[in-house]
Amino acid sequence: MSDQKTPAPTAPVTGPGSPQDVPPVPGSLPIDPATRPEPIRDELLAPDPVAIDTAAAELKDGLNRCPKCGATEIRPKPGTDLLVCLYCRNEWDGARVEEAFGFGEGLDQLRGTVIASGARDIAADAASLMTFKCTACGAEVTVNTENAMTARCHWCRHVFGVNEQIANGAVPDAVLPFHIKKDDAVARIRQFVDKRRLFALKAFKEQFTPENVVGVYLPYMIVDGNASADVAGKGEIKTREYTRGTGNDKKTYYDADIYQVDRHVDFTVDDLPLESSTERGNLDTRVNTNNIINTILPFDTKNAVKWNASYLMGFTSEKRNQDVEHLRPRLEDQLLSIARAQVESSVRRYDRGVRWEQERLDVHGTRWVSMYLPVWLYSYHQPGRNGGLLHYIAVNGRTGETMGSVPVQQWKLLMAALTVGTVLEGIALWIVAASS
Amino acid sequence: MSDDSGLWLLALGPAGATALYWALYRYYRNTDKSHAFERETAVEAQPVTGSDGKVDEIKGTRASRISGENGGAYRMRVQRTPTDDG
Repeated sequence: MSDQKTPAPTAPVTGPGSPQDVPPVPGSLPIDPATRPEPIRDELLAPDPVAIDTAAAELKDGLNRCPKCGATEIRPKPGTDLLVCLYCRNEWDGARVEEAFGFGEGLDQLRGTVIASGARDIAADAASLMTFKCTACGAEVTVNTENAMTARCHWCRHVFGVNEQIANGAVPDAVLPFHIKKDDAVARIRQFVDKRRLFALKAFKEQFTPENVVGVYLPYMIVDGNASADVAGKGEIKTREYTRGTGNDKKTYYDADIYQVDRHVDFTVDDLPLESSTERGNLDTRVNTNNIINTILPFDTKNAVKWNASYLMGFTSEKRNQDVEHLRPRLEDQLLSIARAQVESSVRRYDRGVRWEQERLDVHGTRWVSMYLPVWLYSYHQPGRNGGLLHYIAVNGRTGETMGSVPVQQWKLLMAALTVGTVLEGIALWIVAASS
Repeated sequence: MSDDSGLWLLALGPAGATALYWALYRYYRNTDKSHAFERETAVEAQPVTGSDGKVDEIKGTRASRISGENGGAYRMRVQRTPTDDG
């Protein structure tokens, strides 16, 4: 009760280091790096995180015009990466970011943290509502970037899209258009559920309407990395196997050699996707079924096109709320898992297995690109304790990979298990009785 | 367990019931699924290097595998040695 925390020492009011001191010239350092030890000097002289500018200057006013006729009524053409003008039917293609910004190159040369402009930190005071002033009629058009990226001027029918990489994190660097059409997604979801009807929750079966599937663009960070990892542990090789005892008392024994095993691997990863929304990134299966959405990864992110809000016409979207630094622990965890998978084949000779005890990761360089990826989502809310559970059936909007969670009718499942258990137990009792 | 007269057979009923329950539950709910980034991400690795040295031997153990084996459990984290940057 009485232990009060000592307050932090207050900053000096005047003199060096106080707000009254004359601020240093921008870019200058208060200490001379040349006089410092090497690690400190390297840190002081290291360049700031590099940002690759992926913003499209021609779309800054929110209007995406058809290059042929200038209309703003533009939609994605289903099943393709094309945009189509609904006025003159002109079709054109977005530039692939892979080539436009060289995202696939020089992975082994990556150093430091390279961040594309759409993946920069979200400003703390950023709002979700964006207002555009219509250049044609002067009306104000509001877009809620939480779930939509386009809106129509209700007076002159101009279509506005959030194209500027504003500080609220809603506008990514790239977007991967839907290839799987809605009918296809509905068929896949129906097929998935048809195989799981017997023990499905009655209410779920009654309310099952896959036509309600929605196309959602979910936010991801696509990360390239250049890393090295070390693992150390013990491995055992069997030298002898023998049995002792006779009859029913036979027991098998083993002799083995124990080895200290160290492994090192240098590797690069290309396009590792990480959920950049806190809600979707939470894969705790006790409280949600987001692992379903995670399972339909990966996407063919090499085909992603430069951001253009017109690709999102008719679809909803979710906003990113995680910055690069939030996602770094998750990236390191995945890089370590990848390293462990890489070294597995080099320890095959340990026929009694290996036990890794220590691991170490050196991340030399990473490149972060923010991307919207297409997912067809069917959801069902199962009522229950703590607000119930939201079940998802998700279809990858590019590859069609389908995964889902179907709520089960517990009593039916228990009955089936008990019935099978009882039959097995009956057989067991019969055998025991017959043999004694 | 397996000492005499096959009494262990009596565990068959409960074991079978539990196994069926879990198998069906997983088939419906897929709680064990996630993105297999270890296999499905494009990884380019240099040849693995390292060292192996015999440190000890064991005689007459009844365990057929090393204790705490985690060679295949890639996502199980072990003690992380800090990176010494210089």
